[in-house]
Amino acid sequence: MRSRIRKNRKVLQAMLALRFHGLTVFRLDFFAPFFIDGSLFAIQLLAFSAVYSNVDTVGGWGRGEMILYIGTFSLLNAVSMTLYFFGVCRIPDKVKSGELDLYLTKPVSPLFRLSFENISPGSVPLIFLSIAILAYGGRVAQPEICGRSVAAYCFWIAVMAVLYYEMEVLLRSVSLYLVSSARMDQLEEAGIALCMKLPGIAFYGVYKVIFYLLLPYGIMATLPVQSLIGEMDGRLAAYGIFVVLLFSGLTAAVWKRGLRRYNSASS
Amino acid sequence: MHKYLEIARVYMKTQLAWRADVIFNMIFTVTKILFAYLLWGLIFRERSMVGEFTFHGILSYYIVSSFLSQLEMSRSVSGEIHERIRNGTFSKYMIVPVNVEGYFIFMELGMIAFYFVFDLLAAVVWRFVFRIEFSFASDPVAIVCGVLTAALGLLFMVELNFWLGILTLKYQGIEAFLMIKNNLMELATGSIVPLALFPEIAVGVMRCLPFYYVTYLPAMLLTGQCGDEAVTGVAVIAAWCVGMQLVLAATWKKYIRKYDGVGI
Repeated sequence: MRSRIRKNRKVLQAMLALRFHGLTVFRLDFFAPFFIDGSLFAIQLLAFSAVYSNVDTVGGWGRGEMILYIGTFSLLNAVSMTLYFFGVCRIPDKVKSGELDLYLTKPVSPLFRLSFENISPGSVPLIFLSIAILAYGGRVAQPEICGRSVAAYCFWIAVMAVLYYEMEVLLRSVSLYLVSSARMDQLEEAGIALCMKLPGIAFYGVYKVIFYLLLPYGIMATLPVQSLIGEMDGRLAAYGIFVVLLFSGLTAAVWKRGLRRYNSASS
Repeated sequence: MHKYLEIARVYMKTQLAWRADVIFNMIFTVTKILFAYLLWGLIFRERSMVGEFTFHGILSYYIVSSFLSQLEMSRSVSGEIHERIRNGTFSKYMIVPVNVEGYFIFMELGMIAFYFVFDLLAAVVWRFVFRIEFSFASDPVAIVCGVLTAALGLLFMVELNFWLGILTLKYQGIEAFLMIKNNLMELATGSIVPLALFPEIAVGVMRCLPFYYVTYLPAMLLTGQCGDEAVTGVAVIAAWCVGMQLVLAATWKKYIRKYDGVGI
């Protein structure tokens, strides 16, 4: 296990060096993710600022809690953009073109290489932007923050970053089974677009089943914020862990089974 | 004119080849309405009015706004021009005996004509699914001006996207810029939150920009609000269309000479 981690670390270093080399060739693209996603979350802040200039609370959450929510979603997105998004999003193309063969023949986990070969250093400022949004939200909301709540928040961010990654891989693994997975991209886009604007507290009934269980984008930023502002109880925490474990198993099964079905070029 | 109508007809027919796209586009129109339904449902639990809006009034706004946003498909124009200039196949448009901008306007028209019925159908379905008591304008002037403003707004967006597309001749890589523009458009056209909820000074600034008239004002007019802006709205967006046309002509004349037909 230790030698595997050491090997993966070396592979990661090599991929990072190659990525830096590639990005310096296309310098203008370097900070593009920062400006694109930065503008997206700045717009969310402006939109909710307009809402809160007309109302005091939305489902019991004040302006500060909503800023914390936007900052948290922005942070999860920033981690994804920095570490794995640009790698995972190419899975369907690699399957379609048969390029996945190259990954299967290398002495390193194909998913590990696919996920981390396109690390985006230009997205790192998004992490700082998210932290700034969180700091602003914390100042407005003034929750009773103690070391325990910050630790709980960091724990949930780490757990939800894993869930975010699993959802990205799961939806793209569909390309190993179907000719076109364009609908999955559309589904992901719609789910994220909705849940980055709408905290989980807004869902009820069938909507809660959809966005808390089937497409769990609704819990990704909600649980970390609830842990920070003291709204999380043991049941909710257990449910969050259950969903992450469920999707971990599902993603591993779908990916591994999909690789067995993969029959090289144009599968 | 006949050849332009033929272009519209061909693109209208082409959409039939992508039947799954039509169905999924219809289904995904629900996300904006679902967002509005859940967010405003939560807010209206504690009050009966927000700004000038009632719960059903604001949902009616989102239904019309979402319908108009779906019809606004001109972002593909800038994408296609950018792509074709980059790979050198833009020459295709330069050898056909039509005005290139006219080609794209009628291409858009053909696509809109096709999607109009399906998007309208989706809007009606969502109105019943979410049990929205739809409030439609009763003033005929507001309705006519709303439709005119929406049509001119769509024309303006094609012009804008055509202009952004041909900027590839100078700047080569404009994808990131186009994505940022799309993000800003969401806010500026009132797709996320009605612009009326912004502070008065911000609304005043928005009124000077063309995006105010693309989906926001038509949606407000068609749901029986902002009646006093109906006629001025048509005049302002018409002026923006003329202004954009002048900018476009100047940009085309200046940069088209840079196109060498071999790609970048």
